[in-house]
Amino acid sequence: MPTEVILPKVDMDMATGRISRWLVADGDTVAKGAPLFEIETDKAAMEVDAPADGTLRRVKTDADADIPVGQAVGWIYGDGEAVPDAGSAGAGSDEAPQAEAVEPAHPAKAEASPDAAAPSGRLAPAAEERPQKALNGAVGHGVRATPLARRLAREAGLDLAALTGSGPKGRIQREDVEAAATAKGAGAALTQSADRQPVPPASKARASLMPAEPAAPAPDAGPLHAVWMREGTGVPVVLLHGFGAELGSWRPLLAEIPEGVPVLGVDLPGHGGSVDVAAAGFADLVAAVEASLTALGVTSAHLVAHSLGGAVAAAVAAGTAIETRSLLLIASAGLGPDVHAGFIKGFAAATEEAPIRAWMGELVFDPRVLSDAFVRSVTRSRADGRLAAAQSRLAERLFVGGAQSFSVRGELAGLGCPVKLIVGEADRIIASRHAFGLAPHVALHLFAATGHMPQLERRLEVGRLLRELLR
Amino acid sequence: MSEAKTAGRELSYAQAIQEAIAIAMERDERVFLMGEDVGVYGGAFQVTGDLVHRFGDDRIIDTPIAELGGAGVAVGAALTGMRPIYEFQFSDFATLAMEQIVNQAAKLRFMLGGAVSVPLVMRFPAGSGTGAAAQHSQSLEAWLGHVPGLKVLQPATPYDAKGMLLAAIEDPDPVMIYEHKILYKMKGEVPEGHYTVPIGKALVRREGPDATVVASSIMVHKALDAAEKLAEEGIDLEVVDLRSVRPMDRETIIRSVMKTGRLVCVYEGVKTLGVGAEISAMVAESEAFDYLDAPILRLGGAEAPIPYNPELEKAVVPQVPDIIAAVRQLVRKER
Repeated sequence: MPTEVILPKVDMDMATGRISRWLVADGDTVAKGAPLFEIETDKAAMEVDAPADGTLRRVKTDADADIPVGQAVGWIYGDGEAVPDAGSAGAGSDEAPQAEAVEPAHPAKAEASPDAAAPSGRLAPAAEERPQKALNGAVGHGVRATPLARRLAREAGLDLAALTGSGPKGRIQREDVEAAATAKGAGAALTQSADRQPVPPASKARASLMPAEPAAPAPDAGPLHAVWMREGTGVPVVLLHGFGAELGSWRPLLAEIPEGVPVLGVDLPGHGGSVDVAAAGFADLVAAVEASLTALGVTSAHLVAHSLGGAVAAAVAAGTAIETRSLLLIASAGLGPDVHAGFIKGFAAATEEAPIRAWMGELVFDPRVLSDAFVRSVTRSRADGRLAAAQSRLAERLFVGGAQSFSVRGELAGLGCPVKLIVGEADRIIASRHAFGLAPHVALHLFAATGHMPQLERRLEVGRLLRELLR
Repeated sequence: MSEAKTAGRELSYAQAIQEAIAIAMERDERVFLMGEDVGVYGGAFQVTGDLVHRFGDDRIIDTPIAELGGAGVAVGAALTGMRPIYEFQFSDFATLAMEQIVNQAAKLRFMLGGAVSVPLVMRFPAGSGTGAAAQHSQSLEAWLGHVPGLKVLQPATPYDAKGMLLAAIEDPDPVMIYEHKILYKMKGEVPEGHYTVPIGKALVRREGPDATVVASSIMVHKALDAAEKLAEEGIDLEVVDLRSVRPMDRETIIRSVMKTGRLVCVYEGVKTLGVGAEISAMVAESEAFDYLDAPILRLGGAEAPIPYNPELEKAVVPQVPDIIAAVRQLVRKER
């Protein structure tokens, strides 16, 4: 059985690459481990080694053509295996291995070779000798991925076959999917869908083998990145994160939300997958959330929101776009003038682990609740500086001269839905005293020995209060 | 956590059990204890100690070496309204009493249409580590855990040993308690007076985001030791003390796995068809499936009788390094 030579993924963000130079001629013999060709990404050029001993039969591609990651670029035939003529590469047709393989739906070529129209879009040898081992350690048609990775990919509308697994035997794990989801364009696919349900994998199954579309929304426009973190029926819970965070930060709390309740996480402008969405001020945040929820078909919701997201949620609840069934505010902003200005400025600009760890320590009463893994994942997401740039700009608009430029105290007073406010007494970001003197229908739940992250520090109790609002 | 109400008083696991027996006997005249050498000898593991002098030999009853007969007396006494505690000298000898445990104690409420119940407690010194070899070192809790009608507990701390025994004595149905022989001398905080630990509730002994270890009995302590060492590498374990084999606390386990995405079951009984197999299957069938980011692992006893040689005896049951290696395999990207 011949061994497939694919264009490997050599870089986390890589969707396509090009072969700059073959180091072995078509039909020559190669030894496993010997350099086979050079690939060029937008960041680097590197050599790719032969995966097996044998005779190389290249799949012809246009010079300089962008080739999707995972596509076959050749086959290595072992001893005793019939090596097809040059150009056919086992595809049963002289035509199929041409450059058009990149575009599987090309009608003219599809006529010439039924194989070219195979749904995989990848060149394949004739059926009887099709290698069973494919990308990502996949066997047959399957992909090696954990159940969690499969669910996250389903929810984000990502095709697992296009991902590279970092786990044992190439198994795709959570962080591989999360990395792909944060990568350019991936999140936008979901927000473009007004469908309440996550996009079924089948409908996009092979699309992501194609070069990524330039899907990142233009600045100042476009919907926010949002993810159905859980499917279900009924009124959804909508999660709005705080300054500097992203929707993924809600994952620990997910276990506290009853099964069957749909949960939608939204990345605020300048955050997470909405990093390229700009906002000129607080009103833009509110408008962007309202527009995104409306576009996703969400007309009523239970809003659960933290810090800056809390102020946004209160304003959304006071508006008419979304019928708000209940409002759970956690360490909410917008209730008083002062804020820990050093944190806002310092965290917004931070891209390296040491300062990120130091600033995150300010968020909680006992820094031990911040696991290394959590800090590292935050660091990874901020490493390229895009979030830092966007959030530093946003901070200048929202926290003018170190003060909160917005207040939602009046909005809270006018709300008719149940409202709970959860505050940590030891909050160093927003002083707990801001929570006093609100309208009497706003229930205040004050936690001792708790900082700015009650949803992390007092997860079970926060979960209980949340469930009370869902009843 | 209920431990918060302790006043700092420490007892050994054996002393905690003895205190529970004494409290139950003082509170309820129907309570009595029977077993081999439980009287003046004080019990094979000195659990009953001097109770015979405090309560007399009609309430701390030495039996002949005849487990089936003793168990039959206990079941009969329970049927007539007494509250017997039957102490096995070694849990391995439950094999001799299976008829009374499985076919009588577990079934009578059902067979008689709820007209009777069997408020019986049986205590089983179990586990390896004492050099007592193959016939005196087994962990057979899964055997009884397979029988509807029984409740099967495994206290891991002195606090739980006392509170679970008191809860078991007050329970209307037969409760089997597997006590680990190595834990008898372990000390821990135990409040004075009467309290109970709810039957069927697991306890999160350590919170952490990276992986869940569900451990039972002495393995809880090994898992906590492993967690301390793994923390130095930046791996933060959540350790769940199973506490109750039957009923099993589905909710606590599943909630933890949904949080961490990884599960390792650690138990001393033979791995195949053991308690961890049940936990693994339960999680795989549950809503936690879609949260698993790695295969579920079991660490259990080897496919062998417990050897007499002390090194081999250690080798056939999970140890701290085994837990560390298993967790690393799950959490790290080792190919």
